[in-house]
Amino acid sequence: MSNGIPLAEALAHYRPDAELGALPEAGDVDALLNTWHPDHLRDSVVKLTVGANAGDSCQRELAGLLQAEAFIDEADLAGTPVTDVDVLVIGGGGAGCAAALMAAEKGARVLLATKLRLGDSNTVMAEGGIQAAIEPDDSVQRHIQDTLRGGHHAADPALVAAMAGDGPEVLRWLIQQGMQFEQTPTGDLHTRRAGGMSAPRLVHCRDYTGLEMMRVLREAVIQHRSIEVWEQSPVVELLSNETGQKCVGAVLTSLIDGQLRIVRTRSVILATGGLGRLHLNGFPTSNHLGATGDGLVLAYRIGAQLRELDSFQYHPTGLLHPTHLAGKLVTEGVRAAGALLVNGLGNRFIDELQPRDVVCSAILRECGEGRGIRIDDQRVGVWLDTPRVERAQPGLLEKQFPNLMTRTRVSGIDPRVEPLLVHPTLHYQNGGVVIDVNGATTVPGLYAVGEVAGGIHGRNRIMGNALLEIISFGLRAGATATANRDRGPKKVTLEHVNRLRRALTIAGMPMAQRTPQVLPDYAAGGVWER
Amino acid sequence: MTAKPDPANTADKGQPVNLTINGLAVVAHAGMTVVEAAWHGGVPRVTSVGCMEGVCGSCRIMLRRGKQVSVGLACQTFVEDGVEVIFLPPASAPRHHYELDDFKDGWDIHERFQDIFPEAARCRHCHGCVVSCPKGISVEEGVAQASAGRFRDAGETFFECVMCELCDVACPELIAPAHVGLFSRRVTAHFHLRPPNLIHRLEELRQDMNKQHQDKPENTQEEKDE
Repeated sequence: MSNGIPLAEALAHYRPDAELGALPEAGDVDALLNTWHPDHLRDSVVKLTVGANAGDSCQRELAGLLQAEAFIDEADLAGTPVTDVDVLVIGGGGAGCAAALMAAEKGARVLLATKLRLGDSNTVMAEGGIQAAIEPDDSVQRHIQDTLRGGHHAADPALVAAMAGDGPEVLRWLIQQGMQFEQTPTGDLHTRRAGGMSAPRLVHCRDYTGLEMMRVLREAVIQHRSIEVWEQSPVVELLSNETGQKCVGAVLTSLIDGQLRIVRTRSVILATGGLGRLHLNGFPTSNHLGATGDGLVLAYRIGAQLRELDSFQYHPTGLLHPTHLAGKLVTEGVRAAGALLVNGLGNRFIDELQPRDVVCSAILRECGEGRGIRIDDQRVGVWLDTPRVERAQPGLLEKQFPNLMTRTRVSGIDPRVEPLLVHPTLHYQNGGVVIDVNGATTVPGLYAVGEVAGGIHGRNRIMGNALLEIISFGLRAGATATANRDRGPKKVTLEHVNRLRRALTIAGMPMAQRTPQVLPDYAAGGVWER
Repeated sequence: MTAKPDPANTADKGQPVNLTINGLAVVAHAGMTVVEAAWHGGVPRVTSVGCMEGVCGSCRIMLRRGKQVSVGLACQTFVEDGVEVIFLPPASAPRHHYELDDFKDGWDIHERFQDIFPEAARCRHCHGCVVSCPKGISVEEGVAQASAGRFRDAGETFFECVMCELCDVACPELIAPAHVGLFSRRVTAHFHLRPPNLIHRLEELRQDMNKQHQDKPENTQEEKDE
């Protein structure tokens, strides 16, 4: 753990104008991934014992949360106030807002419940952009092929085709909501080419694309007459019908007063995002505070099928220092602009523009084999050579990466003169809840959209597909959930909770842990007590 | 703000710093942000933390150093000896209502704006909004631009706005500057962003769709370049 080159010594090795020799032989990529990628860490994957995915591989800590006890049982429902709505959207990020807006558009009375503040999400932190095939030399077909290839051909082709086909229409919808994008002098949308794309396809708003999207959608939701918003209202459990086979609502609590509330509805749309804040395998994360995988837990307990539960994206360049930004991203665009990765000996060790999983593994290899830069006993990383970019293209960092510059300025760090210390950081959940092209899960009445859903990115997501996915499937699920015109629930029960409880008992599994997590332990001091 | 944290000196080993958060005494370490200090000190009911990198605008705080009072974002503010910190409650519901779909075209947008944000013309240049902005935006100037119907310029002025709405709290005329800025950005895109490359691709897709409807059988794989 503590091996590596001490900071002072590494700094002596480092020169921004050093002539770096040729890259070492690339070697066997599969062997690199198998040895160093966190998905392949020894003991990091187990088989699920109970539930719809029994027998499937799953990351160990996530498996613990999926196969756990619920917070409530039937006794808690008695006397709890009930609210009836047409569509309940759980989650206030980009996917949840898109779903709520479309459902309201189609005439539904919508309740959007979110754990923290509306807009608190990974969407707001997305920097790079959104993919859509709009350039003359590009096509929807090529977008599909790039996405499938990037995901190691593990994605569901029907979902990928639906998303890529929606791309141009999604951009029109976003502009209609009032979102701005970067333009060329002739008025075209400006596109960039990023890792894994066969044509320029990344549409963006400087390096604040997610912020621009989120503030516009948040305002559109707040202003909409047919959408009610409950903030600080995490879901503790879904509700099922008498047979436990259909989702008919949810039980929410309040972080303010702890009061439980029942919401009865025809359709529930899960848009709860990812799980970076579980810090899987002990990794730091780029995710926002609410990303604790609650949607996966809720969906699994009510019987929904999940997929690729053993596949996560670790972004290669998370900040190691300053401490308060640990795990936060330095966008891939900085490497695309020419920043190199350099180890403690002052040498390059990987082609910086390889896919994210490969670059991540190579950094972990350098750190693991003692060529990283050691700050202290816990923290080892490599250099991201930003001063080299400044030397080659003076002014570029300031102009194209205002977000990065603003963040580091607060800590008195200047990436133009000193290299950044980086280490891979838990970034994205590749898999998730199984859905069809309308976002419907395997449980009637339950939809899943955004990062909580699986099947779109296979085992590795390429840049710019997340922002597209959340809007594409958000709109699809919003429309389909509203079209569900059955007469609504007669009775709301926790039959599905009882079913999983029985299965856990029969399997002799421990039931001490209650889930969903709601907030990370370190942030839960007095906030979440039960 | 504070001295640059030394990488060799982690937060855990930093100099002890005494402050209060929501009335509770907390002993933090130099280099911690107020968010980290609140967790470190076990301060209950801090539920307004989001991104921890200054883009979500949720962790609004008021700080008092002696007689001096200021506001900011907790994830961007480092601990100091003797400072009193209060996490502010979430912003109240908006007072200005509009839906873009209600606007027929852009010709009456200035009139609409004055109906929706009548207070914007009454700015008394007290600088409360400018001083409160954690992003250093020229809020007053942006409001003046919007009041003059220069929505594109106003939107650009508010480009880095993270919607913390601290300027809304500071404004004695209840102008809601953050929402004025966002309104300006939204109408600019809604009425004026018409990119030819996107419009051309949408038209191509529409024609493809029509063609597929006409010759229903046998048309699955017609677009296969590469």
